[in-house]
Amino acid sequence: MSVRIAARSLRSKILPMFAPAATLHSHATSFGFKEVNEEDKSQLVGNVFTKVASNYDIMNDLMSGGLHRLWKERLVSKLSPFPGMKHLDVAGGTGDVAFRILETIYSVHRRAVDDTLEDDLHEETQIHVCDINPNMLNVGRKRAQQRGLGDLGSLAWIEGDAEKLTFEDNSMDGYTIAFGIRNVTHIEKVLAEAYRVLKKGGRFLCLELSHVDTPVFKQLYDQYSFSVIPVMGELVAGDRDSYQYLVESVRRFPPQEVFASMIADAGFQKVEYENLVGGVVAIHSGLKI
Amino acid sequence: MVRGSSRVVEIISKTLSEMLVCPLSKQPLRVCEKSNSLISHAIGVSFPVVDGIPCLVPRDGEIIETDSDRTTADSFDAKTDHKTAQE
Repeated sequence: MSVRIAARSLRSKILPMFAPAATLHSHATSFGFKEVNEEDKSQLVGNVFTKVASNYDIMNDLMSGGLHRLWKERLVSKLSPFPGMKHLDVAGGTGDVAFRILETIYSVHRRAVDDTLEDDLHEETQIHVCDINPNMLNVGRKRAQQRGLGDLGSLAWIEGDAEKLTFEDNSMDGYTIAFGIRNVTHIEKVLAEAYRVLKKGGRFLCLELSHVDTPVFKQLYDQYSFSVIPVMGELVAGDRDSYQYLVESVRRFPPQEVFASMIADAGFQKVEYENLVGGVVAIHSGLKI
Repeated sequence: MVRGSSRVVEIISKTLSEMLVCPLSKQPLRVCEKSNSLISHAIGVSFPVVDGIPCLVPRDGEIIETDSDRTTADSFDAKTDHKTAQE
């Protein structure tokens, strides 16, 4: 374990010399496999999510065979939510991660001995869901109602930009971004903002589709991505292009090690990642110390 | 389950409004109940609250015109002003 960490910290000293500027620029000007102007990327991505919002959750289930639920559960368990925490879920649109965090906190509470201190702490719990797309937030709010979380003061919905967050420095115990960082224009700005809003001791967690290297599995995964997913998008959502963008944007996103070095560059310590399903998704984490 | 929904969703909670800051200047925001918006005095911009959701994406902001401020600066659109504020 320590050898791997040492190797990673050595690599993180070397990689920045070769990767970041070129990687960041290419990410800012790519929309899937297409080249676009930096100023336009945000609008193009916005259009995609406005279109997919109403089918977002069904499509996630279909594309991942329901696995995305397990991945989000893993993300939330790594967060170790606690009553009274202030949390920010960025690009959290339809609420999946936020709901799981709240439900985890409440289930811990129910098992605990009756304690007035606990009740006071619960009043303090604040989960903020921030998304740049109002359609996604509206879907999220409706789902919260359906799940019985709608009237809770603990859940707040904010329309905001991950690159220009609307929270004070050192205000959050936790920060999550699930399947969102791939879509931003400037990854480094998002990471810098994440670092800024987290308190000392706060944890950064990112769940994102990532890179598969294992020989045979990689071919199968590529086949599935490029042949099956856009067709599913066409059949279920009537929108092939958005899902084509989705699979292309996964390939364009930096691989696990490069992304880990970007997180370290933003100031985070103890940067690690865990591959799930052979690298189809990865959970990157870091601490603000 | 949803009681008095139209009135409730117009107001954002006090706790939330105290936590939010201007996305550009990171200074505190003032709640303006009359116009249902959040005002950033640091840069003179107001952000709308739509259906109970504060819209704090920089491009959502609108420059506030004050009576004593009729200079050419007012004719700049929100986007330009945000770029300057960022620098």
